[in-house]
Amino acid sequence: MAQIKDRYAIVGVGESERSKNSGTTPLHLALDAARAAIQDAGLEAKDIDGFMSYSENDSCTSHQLATYLGVRPKYVKDIMGGGSSTEMLIADAIGLIETGQVNTVLIYRSMNGRSGVRMGGGGWDVNMLQSAIDGGSFIIPYGAGGPAQWFGLFATRHMHETGLTQEHLGHVCVSFYEHAQRNPKAYFYGKPLTMEQYKETPYLSYPFNKHDFCLESDEANAIIVTSAERAKDCQSRPVYIMGIAARQCVSHSHYWSDLTEVAADYVADDVYKKAGVKPEDLDVASIYDCYSWVVLRQLEAYGIAPRGEVGDFVAAGNLRLGGKLPSNTAGGMLSEGYTHGMNNVLEIVRQIRHEYKGTDRQVENCEIGLCTGWAGPDIAGAMILRN
Amino acid sequence: MDYQKPIPLKNQDNHPYWDAADRRELLIQKCESCQHYSHPPGPACAKCGSTELSWENLGSEVKGTVYSFIVSYRPFLPGFQDDPPLVIATVELEKAPQVKLIANVLDCNPEEVNIGMNVKMTWQDIKEGRALPQWIPA
Ligand SMILES: [Zn+2]
Repeated sequence: MAQIKDRYAIVGVGESERSKNSGTTPLHLALDAARAAIQDAGLEAKDIDGFMSYSENDSCTSHQLATYLGVRPKYVKDIMGGGSSTEMLIADAIGLIETGQVNTVLIYRSMNGRSGVRMGGGGWDVNMLQSAIDGGSFIIPYGAGGPAQWFGLFATRHMHETGLTQEHLGHVCVSFYEHAQRNPKAYFYGKPLTMEQYKETPYLSYPFNKHDFCLESDEANAIIVTSAERAKDCQSRPVYIMGIAARQCVSHSHYWSDLTEVAADYVADDVYKKAGVKPEDLDVASIYDCYSWVVLRQLEAYGIAPRGEVGDFVAAGNLRLGGKLPSNTAGGMLSEGYTHGMNNVLEIVRQIRHEYKGTDRQVENCEIGLCTGWAGPDIAGAMILRN
Repeated sequence: MDYQKPIPLKNQDNHPYWDAADRRELLIQKCESCQHYSHPPGPACAKCGSTELSWENLGSEVKGTVYSFIVSYRPFLPGFQDDPPLVIATVELEKAPQVKLIANVLDCNPEEVNIGMNVKMTWQDIKEGRALPQWIPA
């Protein structure tokens, strides 16, 4: 097996405007994000010979994006997927570069996540859902039609077993909302959240209130991956990929018949081994945060705090700037924006580049970072990045 | 008034389960190769991939304990607009603890539901010839 540690890098990141109603198409948003990433890398569009995206059938195709950048690429690929897809596509890109198929790959996620197709539901055909979701007829007739409910069943049990409380969920929200106050592009910029406010907020779907949910936004994000050699020719400071791993568990996980089988638990060992680092070596993290609880479960999975001590870890302020592991420092999907994880990737790249140096947003001594994806207990992906 | 909520769709893999439900019985798929229960049912065992599947009849006296639950304060699907607060629970079957079966917990105050609570299965008549397995406090 080829060693890929430190031999590939993220050399460009970019995003479109973020809004609740873009008034434009995913193709326009993707073009804006791609142009920004290309400019960030100091490349020209024609330097990109591979284009990839993930979506829930709510985007434009990679082929279209390349075409309207004026590029005729060698390779395009569009997969269905949400959380963890960024990591899996980066791994694909590395494989294609390694075997000489392409040189430089742009990966994007573009969605009108609020004004168009909403993950939070609304207007779904219930019989379509019963067929489209594996085991769907065992959940939809009971009103379990949204991720808050599927994730909530998992959360209630896990909280019961490990002593996590509502307040621990709140610490995740309050920490990330605090980060959003330093990020003028965050959706909840100017809308801080106190623990008192959090606790006063009524449940939307117990054990979650609205702050425990990620937001929905219209936006596109893009990143550019190339070899460490080509990275030297880019104007940006490369962020090297030390290790990357993914795992798929049962496809009917919405039903969660086995609540102990969690993909992230498997990915953690794999990614640390590949990167040759330990949890204590991490300086910064982007932890997939479609729900606050998902962050807590991943802190356990990735060995950042031992099972049973995760609540104390977040209550001590360790996710905040100045804490042991500042995480989701742009506000995350709970308070910045939501592109199934890619906005969290953009942020950790910028942190590891020290792009915020001289401001109160820069994580100090920020050399190594962990970025995780979690589509559910069934799908996880993670990568470890370094300066 | 007609039943407004989604009615379980029968297909090639799950129809023995729903046919049994219509008779007010619980049938759970089981793998003959690895002896694991396979729920929700599928075209093969999700543990080992075997197609040596059978169905075990757990009858009409089905007991269990709440393994996990949520309370939905907003309808997330059409037809449920009058239901919130709605309890959705994963219940561990007394006779087959490996199986965790999702349904609503009816006839109880949502604030009184807790993990470990004893429940028993009931069948809700939803339309002519169709019945939906549900939980009620035991
Ligand atoms: Zn089996």
